[in-house]
Amino acid sequence: MTHVNDNVLESIVNKVVSQVESDLIAQIESSYAQSLERLRASKVSLEAEYSKIVENASKQAENLKRQMIESSRLAVRNKQLLLIEDAVNDVFKHAISRIDSVRAGERYEAMMRRLIEGALDAIGTDAVLECNDKDRDIVDRIVLEIQHKYNFSIEVGNSIDCLGGIRARSKDGSIILDNTLDSRIERLRPILKKDIARLFMV
Amino acid sequence: MVARGRIVWISGPAVKADGMSEAKMYETVYVGESRLIGEVIRLTGDTAFIQVYESTSGLRPGEPVIGTGNPLSVLLGPGLIGRIYDGIQRPLDDIARQSGAFISRGIAVDPVDKRKRYRFIPTVKVGDELEPGSRLGTVDETPLIKHHIMLPPDNPGGKVIAVEKEGDYDLEHPIATLEKDGKRHEAKMYHYWPVRRPRPLREKLDPEIPLITGQRVIDTLFPVAKGGTAAIPGGFGTGKTVTMHQIAKWADAQVVIYIGCGERGNEMTEVLVEFPHLTDPRSGRPLMERTVLVANTSNMPVAAREASIYTGVTMGEYYRDMGYDVVLVADSTSRWAEALREMSGRLEEMPAEEGYPSYLASRLAEFYERAGRGIALGTPERIGSVTLIGAVSPSGADFTEPVTTHTIRFIKTFWGLDTRLAYSRHYPAINWMISYSGYVDSIAKWWMKSVSEEWFRLREEGYYILQREDTLKEIVRLLGPEALPDEEKLVLEVARMIKIGILQQAAFDKIDTYCSPAKQFKLLRLMVGFYREAQKALKAGIPLADIRSMQIITRMLKAKFEISEEEIGKIDALYDEMMEEFKALTAREVKQVVG
Amino acid sequence: MVEVGVEYTKVSEIRGPLLIVEGVSRVSFDELVEIETMDGIKRLGKVLEVGQGKAVIQVFEGTTGLSVKGTRARFLGKTMEVPVSQELLGRIFDGLGRPIDGLPEPIAEEFRDVNGAPINPERREYPRDFIQTGVSVIDGMLTLVRGQKLPIFSGSGMPHNILAAQIARQATVVGSGEEFAVVFAAIGVQYSEAQYFKRSLEESGALRRSTLFLNLADDPAIERIITPRVALTVAEYLAFDLNMHVLVILTDMTNYAEALREISAAREEVPGRKGYPGYLYTDLATIYERAGRIKNVKGSITQMPILSMPADDITHPIPDLTGYITEGQIVLSRDLFRRDIYPPVGVLMSLSRLMKDGVGEGKTRADHMEVSNQLYDAYARAQEVRALSEIVGKAGLTGVDLKYLDFGDAFEQQFLKQAVDENRTLEETLRRAWDVLSTLPEGELTKIKEVHIKKYYKARG
Repeated sequence: MTHVNDNVLESIVNKVVSQVESDLIAQIESSYAQSLERLRASKVSLEAEYSKIVENASKQAENLKRQMIESSRLAVRNKQLLLIEDAVNDVFKHAISRIDSVRAGERYEAMMRRLIEGALDAIGTDAVLECNDKDRDIVDRIVLEIQHKYNFSIEVGNSIDCLGGIRARSKDGSIILDNTLDSRIERLRPILKKDIARLFMV
Repeated sequence: MVARGRIVWISGPAVKADGMSEAKMYETVYVGESRLIGEVIRLTGDTAFIQVYESTSGLRPGEPVIGTGNPLSVLLGPGLIGRIYDGIQRPLDDIARQSGAFISRGIAVDPVDKRKRYRFIPTVKVGDELEPGSRLGTVDETPLIKHHIMLPPDNPGGKVIAVEKEGDYDLEHPIATLEKDGKRHEAKMYHYWPVRRPRPLREKLDPEIPLITGQRVIDTLFPVAKGGTAAIPGGFGTGKTVTMHQIAKWADAQVVIYIGCGERGNEMTEVLVEFPHLTDPRSGRPLMERTVLVANTSNMPVAAREASIYTGVTMGEYYRDMGYDVVLVADSTSRWAEALREMSGRLEEMPAEEGYPSYLASRLAEFYERAGRGIALGTPERIGSVTLIGAVSPSGADFTEPVTTHTIRFIKTFWGLDTRLAYSRHYPAINWMISYSGYVDSIAKWWMKSVSEEWFRLREEGYYILQREDTLKEIVRLLGPEALPDEEKLVLEVARMIKIGILQQAAFDKIDTYCSPAKQFKLLRLMVGFYREAQKALKAGIPLADIRSMQIITRMLKAKFEISEEEIGKIDALYDEMMEEFKALTAREVKQVVG
Repeated sequence: MVEVGVEYTKVSEIRGPLLIVEGVSRVSFDELVEIETMDGIKRLGKVLEVGQGKAVIQVFEGTTGLSVKGTRARFLGKTMEVPVSQELLGRIFDGLGRPIDGLPEPIAEEFRDVNGAPINPERREYPRDFIQTGVSVIDGMLTLVRGQKLPIFSGSGMPHNILAAQIARQATVVGSGEEFAVVFAAIGVQYSEAQYFKRSLEESGALRRSTLFLNLADDPAIERIITPRVALTVAEYLAFDLNMHVLVILTDMTNYAEALREISAAREEVPGRKGYPGYLYTDLATIYERAGRIKNVKGSITQMPILSMPADDITHPIPDLTGYITEGQIVLSRDLFRRDIYPPVGVLMSLSRLMKDGVGEGKTRADHMEVSNQLYDAYARAQEVRALSEIVGKAGLTGVDLKYLDFGDAFEQQFLKQAVDENRTLEETLRRAWDVLSTLPEGELTKIKEVHIKKYYKARG
């Protein structure tokens, strides 16, 4: 009985063992397959991640490159604008310094007359004219010549500091017209600037 | 003697001038050195208040103002059709030719080319006695419009002394000479008429013919009659302009006047681009051959906006006098009212509600009074109509604001646009619970004669379903749809079908954009027929779920855009199929019960 | 000849932003005025009303610090002008067009009146070129076209500027490869908001083709009346003289309207709704209508004004009147914003009027318009069902209703929501649209023609 039992026992043990064994193998196999699968998957995802990183980086690099190119282009342009501005300023300085040399001419007096008459028309009441010391004689002379055309008084007031031209005001001070060359040049500046700049740009 | 004054004060479009004792109220004047066009709107002593139709930027006190002796008038004669004008009848294409893509000021141009020659065919002969307003002859203005050359209504008429024979003449050529009380006068192919004075009719007739617009919710539920009035108020985005465009495109009128009053520039461009390529479903000709546009967009000078409405309606009345049915759509009368308000404010008049002048209501009444169907003056007898349709743009979509409330007093058809419907893209967003038409009874005869005897009853039934749904919706909102008995659930279901299958209409779908009366009727019959059968089926014990899941429903809902006008017989086939399906349902039910 | 530059010193009254000068002659309506204080500080203004020797001047930089005595007004004989030239690109200016980037005054090709002139409707070209913004909800349902004016209606704290910047970065016309020049006008906004925009343009390399006009929150309020006009004058030059496609962003138009109200109140005008002047509509139109295309001109102006709705109220006069002028509106929703959905576009209240002309066969895709209509229809139904389910619970809903609940979620999460730097192609946008539509039974798609359902519907057996 025992023998038989032993045999039976052994076969059962064997069975159990082999069962366990095969289970184990199956388990190992499946876990092997699983880990392989996982490995493969992680490789794929890693690759995806990797290409994503590369793509992002290259996108960023592209952006950065673009940004750098554009901003340096902008910087160059801005530098150019500053240079042109300097040049324009030089031209104006030069022009102003030459005003004294034209003062003696006939055209200067005609211009002064135009400026004075324009100012008096605009003010239309008792008026005071102001100019710099150098122009005082011219202004006095012109006022004398034209006074008869106006039914209000015209005085020549104190000297002012300017390049040329005149400043006119009504006697009560309520109307003022700045017809000095300084202010006229300033008003012309934006318009002349384009022409001057064009000479430098070509 | 014309007035010659000087500007003393300027604030925006309002200018005051002194030395104007010779000026008359509503006289046209030239303002300033650049001769801007203006109109006298108030006289106090020798000071005139002038509204200027162009930008006053740069104008100075002291500049001259010169009267013309004439009130603001429009030229009436061949050559108007197909054109686009600003608010004071200057052709925008001619303005562009002078000033480029942007509109500049002080441009003087004739409304039509007076040198263009038209073939005149006389319809009177020497010796005929003519009354004022009588026809002298005809001219083919476009292939659609035979232009009747008429004596002006304020012309004395008289005996024809001479009349030109058939031939090509320009507008300045005198085509006839008449004699009245020993005095002779000549007639040309055009005349001027003051815009603020309605052109008289011999007799007004009742509006009893519907204006077919091809829009189902309008024609079927809330129709307007030829010679009638309608208003379409709605907040922004509710589709006023689209509806106005649809009416201008598809209405069965012979002449359409489209007034873009203080609205978007691109909307006028859209009409200009589209209309030459769209064809009138009745004549097969381009729609532009029957259309006149008046465009004073929102960024154009505000005073000309005020004038544009009158400019438009005067041209409309002129074509009515030829015996045509004219539709005039004004988009938007609110912007016109705002122009009134702005001028009134500048003149420091006493304001009424929301700053509008107290005469807002009377001005609106005067405008809508110019609608009508009637017999023109003179011979031969001509019956024409002007239908006025005004869009209203209430601020904040609030229908209690002054322009909407006053407008409602003077119109008979009301299409109330609903922001909530628009949000859910139910277009046209005409709310069927607040809208109404005072013409249903008078035009029913036409439908029953021209389409079907059944029309009136089916319309009533369809409308009733929608009204019931509205009450039921309140309950659903509180308890959910499952709380209703099947009979009422069916009402909801059919109301949904009517809304999708009939009321909603896609303006931009090739097929759905226009729906003929016959097709409208067939769709109505289909939905109401479904309701009748479904009610019977319910009573016979068929579960609602079975009815709801009928395969045919989706096809019924899509019939409006899947079945074109040429094949509307298919809607009848669909109807028959639906009846069959109900029969099959009942048969199955009977079998189950018996078996 | 009328002498320009006459100065008057007789100031009779200073009232709010207005300066009233007496004893003037030969002053014209709308004329530009230079105001000089006793200490030589200069400001600009313009004539609002003139007559009987009196001129009413609106001072752009405000009247703070001006006194009746010692203030001088110089009338310049012209309306307000700005210099225009290509060199304005890449530059930054204040709200009146004066440089604030440390660079000199620009060299003008020309000087243009900031008020512009109305485009003749007869010369307009109808806008119909589809702009791909890369934002699904816009491309799919609120399509923008070149030359359109489409505002963003927002509320305080919502990401309107982020969305506008994303659009400015991503907008292209597919197949043309043309980039937009950007003109940005800040109207009374915070420094940080303007900075965000500038940085965004910088980072995408777009600053070189952009011009910025900045009137910030602490800059003079009345200047805001001029800022959008200056910006649009420059935009018009770039578009219609230099043939560029220009995208103009104006933010925040509410501040503009408030400045207008301030002037109107100072003039004691009869107010319209909420104290805004009766001519607010017309005034706004003179800004918004400066968008579009012109026949035989290649360039275009596409306008995207941004405005914050006071108390999120869309019926407030500013959004209300804007909506009546612009060609649609993009409305941001507080609810979506709270639920962290970007872009929080409340689609049902939003609309693009020109979409119909920019989409469809040959432009985008034949099913585009129908898909869009169906999305609106279905989302509207989904919202209704959501509201209902909160009252009666899911048990009170029908089976179809439940499907709509799912649709609503799918729509928001898969279609609407996207990242700030996510640039979707139109194909992808439409694919996502069909994905979410396919959560509904086929019979529910009543807005789509049979042929398109056959081709794209995914749940079909």
